[in-house]
Amino acid sequence: MGALRQPAETYGTTTTMPPDFDQFWADILNEAQTIPLNPTLRHIPQRSTDEVDVYEIHYDSLDHLRIAGWYCVPKEHYIAPPYPALLIMPGYISEPTIPKAWAKLGYAAVGVAPRGKLRSNTRYNPGYPGLLVNNITDRYTYSYRGFYIDAIRAVDFVQSRPEVDASRIGVHGSSQGGALTIITAALRPDAITVGAAGAPYLCGFMDAAALTHSWPYEEINDYLRLYPERTEAVRNTLNYFDGINFAPRIRCPMLIYVGLGDDVCPPETGYAVYNALGGPKEIHAYPRCAHDAGSYWEAAQVRAFLAKYLHPAR
Amino acid sequence: MSTNQIPDSFDAYWDAIDAELARYDAAPELELLPLRTTPFANFYAVRLTSIGPYRIFGFYSVPNGEGPFPGLLYTPRYGSVNNPPHYDDRQRYAVLTLMHRGQRLADQPFAASYPGLLTLGIESPETYIYRGILADCLRGAEFLLSRPEVDRERVGIIGDDLALITAARRPQFRAARIDSLMFYRALEASAQVGDYPLEEFNDHLRGAPEQREAVAHTLAHFDARYHAPHITANLLLSVNDPQAVNGPEWQEPLHRALGGRAETYQLTHEGGTDHDCLEAWMARQLGVEPKSRLWSTAPATP
Repeated sequence: MGALRQPAETYGTTTTMPPDFDQFWADILNEAQTIPLNPTLRHIPQRSTDEVDVYEIHYDSLDHLRIAGWYCVPKEHYIAPPYPALLIMPGYISEPTIPKAWAKLGYAAVGVAPRGKLRSNTRYNPGYPGLLVNNITDRYTYSYRGFYIDAIRAVDFVQSRPEVDASRIGVHGSSQGGALTIITAALRPDAITVGAAGAPYLCGFMDAAALTHSWPYEEINDYLRLYPERTEAVRNTLNYFDGINFAPRIRCPMLIYVGLGDDVCPPETGYAVYNALGGPKEIHAYPRCAHDAGSYWEAAQVRAFLAKYLHPAR
Repeated sequence: MSTNQIPDSFDAYWDAIDAELARYDAAPELELLPLRTTPFANFYAVRLTSIGPYRIFGFYSVPNGEGPFPGLLYTPRYGSVNNPPHYDDRQRYAVLTLMHRGQRLADQPFAASYPGLLTLGIESPETYIYRGILADCLRGAEFLLSRPEVDRERVGIIGDDLALITAARRPQFRAARIDSLMFYRALEASAQVGDYPLEEFNDHLRGAPEQREAVAHTLAHFDARYHAPHITANLLLSVNDPQAVNGPEWQEPLHRALGGRAETYQLTHEGGTDHDCLEAWMARQLGVEPKSRLWSTAPATP
């Protein structure tokens, strides 16, 4: 870690926009659309409470992989439908939590488990560490190609639910969850009402790897230490998956929050994606905070920001 | 509800785990991983046998040079994945991060569920999954403490209750840094918090309320209060806000059990500040230079 850095907001980025970026993703979305969602729900009485029903869900995604998730819905006697939906995106090494607390506020909340996460890893399991660099020299088979689609198919899931008001769908997460928030809002701009992304990962990949030796970006440093001749191929692939290139496609209000001492997802990259955002936006930056991104103080602000646009019952 | 008395079976329970562990050779297998090896440290995958028998996994990094090096053990967090040793640690310590049974890389034949692991077999101390998981941590400690490149006078351990219990059962550690507590007053905590992973206790007891006493009895075997008298390492405990779970009042019974020997660190909730303070404490304990992860920022140019 360098002893002196320029202010994070002045750093910029070395990420560049591939000329065929939109076509690349349009082709993938078209391919995904040919695959029926086939959603299933299984009630989990053990995790349900007097206020909230908990379900394990599954749906089909790209490459016909079966993707798992948790779905939490207020009980009708507690809060009557329709409910705004909230997609909670997972971090890199964490398993998706059961979003019961969000359902208690009045959201129909999904905790998404994209491919490689437990319960979604029977056919694809690059491991941790491993996911970040799996097929990293080929954009057509890179890990996040399917991973991103798995996340945005959760939008299709909530849109299929009769208890959900499909005009109110939010997305939220931190770290990789922050990245998936940005990607989902960008790839489904007509569906997403609002997003809140903390310490966004997968933004300015190569800048981040140059700025830190913390995991998971250290996976890229390890890979390029062993295969330095592949640097340009890696950079070319990652440009297709970089949140900074997705950000201009977003039209909904977005909240970004960062720790100015974040060694995991450097704040320089948080500012770079914030600067690229297309819609109404705000950023909250916390000095001396690291990958927590000030969550001790920010959690209440995230709840208020989402509620402002999604209007949950509580 | 939580038992506020050490179970009669406590000592016999832990002695039996030690005895069972002693019956199995660890049969360590180290595999050099070129992908993670740097100019300053070699990096190994480590496989060890724990009770069951069960083969567990670790990432082990050793600095280049003469040594011996101070050793550092990170016990597993609650979750399916543990990060490999950090670059900063790898420059100063022989450092082992362990995957207990059920976690990725140690998930054959048993793959843990999240949520679910925290209450697996909790009806009895004998069937509780954490009996084996603690044995895994003890095995990892034995491995690190036995390595010729490790300075046995300077070995530290970092983690949650798993680190505290490991330090209590293996008194060779010089320093133990306990960043959080999951089993200490666990049922009282879960009644107040309601977030996962503690919510797993609530989920379990909602479905099986008649097991409350049995669950409390099981958890008492893992409660830091009852392990505290056995800890000889210098100890640092992170403390949450006043009046909160794991705040100073909440930890008071633990400090009584420790005889006031533990240092405390009041969390600021600024992750960078907290990291640097905690990391500097362990560096001082083991006689190496602290490494800050915060950096200075140049003044903005107009």
